Amino acid sequence: MSEQAYPDALQPQYRMHWYTIERVLGQGGFGITYLARDTNLDQLVAIKEYLPVEVASRRADATVRSRSEGQRERYRWGLDRFIQEARTLARFDHPNIVRVHSVFEHNGTAYMVMRFEEGDNLAALLERRSTLPERDLLRILLPILDGLELMHNAGFIHRDIKPDNIHIRADGSPVLLDFGSARHALGKAHTLTILVAPGYAPFEQYHSSSENQGPWSDIYGLGATCYRAIAGMPPMDAISRSKGILGSTREVLVPARNVGSGRYSAQLLAAIDHALEFVEKNRPQTVAEWRREILGETSAAGAAPAVADRSAAAASQQVTPPAPSPAAGQSAPSAVPPQPAIAAHQALPRADAPVARRGWSGARTPVAWSIAGAAAAAIAIAVFLWPPIDRDPEEKIRQIQKELERTKELLKERDTDAKTREKLLALLAEQEEAKRRQEDEARKRREEQEKQAQAKLRQEEEARKRREEQDKLAEAKRRQQEEARKRLEEKQRLAEARLRKEEEARKRLEEQQRLAEAARQAEEQRLALTQPPAGVRAPKRPPEAEKLAQGEAALARREYEKAYEILTPLAHGGNSRAQVRLAEMYAGGMGVSKNNNQAYIWYSLAAQGGSTTARTERDRIARLLQPAEVQQADTVVQNWRPR
Amino acid sequence: MAARIFRVLSSRRLAAGCLVAALLMSGCVTVEDKRCAVEAINKEFRRDYEAILAKDGTRVFPVSRAEAYDAVRISMARLRMTVEAQDPVLGYVNVFAPAPLPLDEKEWKQAAEADLSRAREIIGPCVGLFAHFFNFEPQGLEITISGTVVELPSGTAISFTARMREIAPPRTGFPRREYLPPTAVRMALVKMWAEIDREFKATYRRP
Repeated sequence: MSEQAYPDALQPQYRMHWYTIERVLGQGGFGITYLARDTNLDQLVAIKEYLPVEVASRRADATVRSRSEGQRERYRWGLDRFIQEARTLARFDHPNIVRVHSVFEHNGTAYMVMRFEEGDNLAALLERRSTLPERDLLRILLPILDGLELMHNAGFIHRDIKPDNIHIRADGSPVLLDFGSARHALGKAHTLTILVAPGYAPFEQYHSSSENQGPWSDIYGLGATCYRAIAGMPPMDAISRSKGILGSTREVLVPARNVGSGRYSAQLLAAIDHALEFVEKNRPQTVAEWRREILGETSAAGAAPAVADRSAAAASQQVTPPAPSPAAGQSAPSAVPPQPAIAAHQALPRADAPVARRGWSGARTPVAWSIAGAAAAAIAIAVFLWPPIDRDPEEKIRQIQKELERTKELLKERDTDAKTREKLLALLAEQEEAKRRQEDEARKRREEQEKQAQAKLRQEEEARKRREEQDKLAEAKRRQQEEARKRLEEKQRLAEARLRKEEEARKRLEEQQRLAEAARQAEEQRLALTQPPAGVRAPKRPPEAEKLAQGEAALARREYEKAYEILTPLAHGGNSRAQVRLAEMYAGGMGVSKNNNQAYIWYSLAAQGGSTTARTERDRIARLLQPAEVQQADTVVQNWRPR
Repeated sequence: MAARIFRVLSSRRLAAGCLVAALLMSGCVTVEDKRCAVEAINKEFRRDYEAILAKDGTRVFPVSRAEAYDAVRISMARLRMTVEAQDPVLGYVNVFAPAPLPLDEKEWKQAAEADLSRAREIIGPCVGLFAHFFNFEPQGLEITISGTVVELPSGTAISFTARMREIAPPRTGFPRREYLPPTAVRMALVKMWAEIDREFKATYRRP
């Protein structure tokens, strides 16, 4: 299949999901059927693409769009029906009905994935062989009827049965393809030429509405297909038949009974003619009914004679020269009496015509048939024996004019019926359109609500994330504050501990000063007791004690540098109190670098002088020193001599 | 080529392992583990330290007490140590400097390498596998040395003690690492005695 042959088709190797297009199998008014490969299962499939060329076209990016804004809704509606049909078909699994695997939307249209049936098309077969023998025809027809019956029982109509849509597999089994309700989907505005297959579509399918369509419509298509198989050509299309019926006194379709006489069984030919009844009510109403006729079962006996009558009448028209027109018949009298032609005409055009209805209803009584047969034989004998009557030509013209008038009345009546039907159809279409609009509006409202709900959800999600982020930040900040608070508390605790130590040191110092003062006062009192008599000058305080007092006073005033200067020489001279004070300064880092080694040495020296306090403090400081340092300091102490 | 690749992989693997181990160590070694490790290493190093001092911590020189004291101060200054406290009458001087002084970097590294495996063995029972990540880091430490001069009948005895001091105040109640690696103590004493000798030789030109 070349690109030029199908300009609207997808290119080979085009990929949709897991399907790869290989080539075009065919194109109709409603779409294109491709041969494709299912790359998942590695098998060939047939994919039907919805592409109604009247209302839609393919764009450069492979998408399918309606040709105009006005056609967009029609296209969308048809597309929905296409998808719906695929879903319906997918429910059926019958060997004689094409298997639908899947349907999906893509490229702005829809694709129906079907099993790819290898084999030959009945149309191609008939093209080669022209006709089929009865056995071969039944081998195709009966299985198709089985599948069709299943579909009909499910309320589904094919509407496009023709040889092109019947596929013959390699094993000879037939399969019915292309259930094309898409043509139904396009509605009344569609062009008739692409709605029906000429010759195979019954007259009711030429109307836009499906109200008169039913299993009998498919039976007409199958009958026409059978007709094609026995006659080598399709039957005349229904429009031409209607013109023939309405515009003349005879039906122009040659009955199957005539075409296939001698080559096919009478019951088959009668059944085909019954299926090809112009008026839908005159056809078999169900597949089962028609199957019985084909197989010659007794329940179909009522239908066959009626058809036989009509066929016989038509056959007599075919084998006999046509009835002379008034103009032509003036010179040559008719060889055939006019009655049979009139009777045949009366039986055909209308479903509710009394003659035709009588033919269906009366046929069930064998007695009535016997009487009718005897009467027909008598009439035939009478006609045969009756001498030719040379009627008055004017009488003939009047009779013909009368018939014409009657035909015009019938035509007018049919037009009236057609107009009424069209009005009803238009009304139904309006109702359907209104319903569809309501559905569209409801769908849009739902979509809008869903969008709003999704937007709201997104907002809530974002708000939740923001809250979580804020919570995290707050938590981190709280942790930082907690850590800072702990650090501050630790600092405060350390500061308090330091203050306590300083306070304790100060108190100890004050206590020592108090003791020193008390000792000094006691010494003064002792000196006073030994004071010389009046007139004798009191001795002066020893200078060492005076200096010690000054040093301790400076220490109390925290004048450490002065205290150090005063106390150090005293300590070097062996003054125990001065040594203790100096040790306290080194131990506390008062005015000097804190140095436990020196504090230990001075406490030790003071302890040697008998100070209990110094001994206690020395032992405390010793615990802060290395044993080696203690030993080193002890060596200094042991070898020290006051300077 | 293969060996080179293996080396690269090994070094990367080692680096990754160290990183993971460091993370584990920082996250898994408890305060009690650290306390145990510090106390253990102080205990073991103190034993070595005292043995070293007993052997070579004190030397007697045939100089006066004043000469010895001056020599100690000058020698310490040469070793870039700073006087923190001193009392010539007592015969006491205290000097300090940031670690690794009085050793230089190379000497410190040498001493650390010599004592590292033993240190890891010591702290192993406390911190387990994390002992392998222990190192002698000089950063954050000061070395303080106390020198004393004592007059003896035979001359003047000069003795030294040394300890480590953390620059940042340690956590309250937490034991301090105060004992130097034994090899570092030995090397420091050698340097100090060498300086003392040098000072005496330079000043008094004594053999």
